[in-house]
Order: sequence, then C-alpha cells, then structure tokens
Amino acid sequence: MKRASVLGIGPAEWQHSWDGLRAISSLMVGSALFGLAFGALVRDAGINPWAGLFGTMTVVAGASQIAIVESVRAGAPAIVSILTAILINARFALYSAALAPLWSAFPLKWRMGLAYLMTDQSAVVALRERDEPDPIRRRWFALGAALPFVLVWVLGTIVGLILGPVIPAAWQVGFIVPLMFIAVLVPGLQRPAELVTIAGAAAVVLLGHTWPFGLNVFVGIIAGMIAGASFEAWQEKRRAGAAATTAQPEPPELPDPAGDVP
Amino acid sequence: MSIWLIFLFAAIGTYLIRISGVVLLKDEERIPAPVRRALRMVGPAAMGAIIVNSLFLDHQEWREFGAWHIAAAVAIGVALWRRSQGWSMLAGAVAFAALIAAGL
Repeated sequence: MKRASVLGIGPAEWQHSWDGLRAISSLMVGSALFGLAFGALVRDAGINPWAGLFGTMTVVAGASQIAIVESVRAGAPAIVSILTAILINARFALYSAALAPLWSAFPLKWRMGLAYLMTDQSAVVALRERDEPDPIRRRWFALGAALPFVLVWVLGTIVGLILGPVIPAAWQVGFIVPLMFIAVLVPGLQRPAELVTIAGAAAVVLLGHTWPFGLNVFVGIIAGMIAGASFEAWQEKRRAGAAATTAQPEPPELPDPAGDVP
Repeated sequence: MSIWLIFLFAAIGTYLIRISGVVLLKDEERIPAPVRRALRMVGPAAMGAIIVNSLFLDHQEWREFGAWHIAAAVAIGVALWRRSQGWSMLAGAVAFAALIAAGL
C-alpha cells in the first residue's frame, strides 16, 4: 500500500529528513544546553529577554551572541559588538563555499532557507552527503539535520531566559561558556597550526585584558588567525622545500569539525 | 544603539556570510588561498579567545584561581583522552559541581 504524504511532504522526503536528524542527534543535547546558558547569560547581563530571544532567532550562532552580550555588558560601542560577532561568524563563508556544489541544484528559496539554518554541526553533517547523487535526498537530509538543531537551540534559550533569574548566583552558570567551548574545540584539535592559533589568540586576550569594550577578544581572534595561518603557510613551504619528492598539497579543510553550537 | 539593532545588524552580516557561497559565489576555489587559510583558523581562534577570556578574566580583572580553572583542566584532559564532546562536558560539569559543593 502506498503511504500518504504528511503536511504535503511525501514519505520518501520524511525518511530523508529523519536520516538527517539521526545524523545530528548526538549533538542536540549540547545545542539545548548552550541555548540555556545563553538565555541565562542574557538575564544575568540585564538585557531585555525578548531582545535575547530575537538575537537567538536571527543571528543563530551562539559564540557570536555571547560575544555581543559580553561586549554590551563591557560598554563597548555598537560597532565593536557587531564587528566582533561578524568576525566570529566569518567561518560560515568556508562552509557556504564548501556546500555550494552540493546545493547548486536546489531551488533558490531552499538555498536561502538552509543558509539561515546553517551551523557548524549541520554544515558538517550536510557535507557527509557529498557523494549522494539525488539532490532531493540531499536537501531534505540537510533540512532534517539543520531545522531540529536550531529549534532545540531556540527552545534552550527560552528555558534559559525563564530560569535565568531563579538560578542561584552560587551555581556560577557562567562556567558553561568556557566548558562548552572546551568541549567543542579540544576533541577536534589535531594540527599544530591550530595550537599556534589558540596560543596567539590567548596571548593577545590576556595581554590586552585592560583594553576597553572587550577589544582584547576581537583583536585576539584576528591575531590568532594570522598566527595560525602564517604558521601553516611556513610549515607547507618548509615541507615543500625539504622534501620536494614527497610533498603533496593537503586537501581543503574546514574549520573545526566539532564547531560552534549552533 | 539598542541591543535590538546590534543583534539585527549582526544577523544581517552573518546571513550574508552564510549565503556567500551557496547563493553568490558557488565555488570554494574562488576564495583566495590566504583567505581560505585564515578562515580555517577562525574556529580555534574565536573559541580559544572566548575560553581564555572567560576562564582567566572576570570583568577585566584576573579571576582568582579555583574551581573554574581546575574543572576546565579536567574537561580539557578528558577531551584529549576520549576525543568526545559529551564526555568532556560531563566531566567538566561534574568536577565543577563537586568543587563548588566543596566550597572552592
């Protein structure tokens, strides 16, 4: 017997979406907890909770949202807050470029919608389908991974906004910020260039701790990127020069596969 | 500028970045190699900066050594050992709760 469509979506498309959801399911708890931490941080900073929810639903990128809240709390000019957030989110350009050939057959509204839902995790999961020949399968799989992941992030934020004021200060929920980023960043670390990047960023953040408006984070990110990229370029040049016979170009890599949440 | 507008402009900028490849550029190879190389480092740079800033500083002052640093060290150790987000978060959270409960 032929199965009926639900919500105008056929059974095959539901199955593709379900496969996408399963592929990202192990990361959903992290997304919810991180949303919760962001919501609590918004309340702790004394920011209008509706504005916090607006930020979560429009920016959809946790690290940059936290940077905005922290810089606003530090009294930074708006332009510094906005540029810091955009700098942190610049990595999406690489995901977007990597996904371009996989999504080129999708209708424009699908590409624009999926781009809005793009996170580190959903991009990496969508890229796993690069060998899948059917574009319909690819787009429903991508949606099945990306949409629930963002929904969980929004729900986590709402819970954090509601519970924020009743969470005792002694619990120091702010610790979720470094903890979450440690859990996302450290397991995926493999290349020396990444360590150089982190060391460069860390040095500037600490040396610039008296700078106003949270500028130490903004400048630290740029310094880390330059340090890591320069180190990698130097490494490649050295490798190519030392062993011309064995030197092979590395395949293009994406930013940290574990990534930000969302 | 109000926080609403800050979020709005950040959202617009972020969305333009997100559609840059899939709508506008359509080819990773068209991003110049040095830019591509730098973009690969954004993740570690941004996350590293935020970790260090929140762990060692508290409103521009040095954070007193204690539960934050020890629990973070536990989370990093477990992350390197198990190479797992979940185990790293769990170990860090349990260590932090225990240290806070112990009055550290």
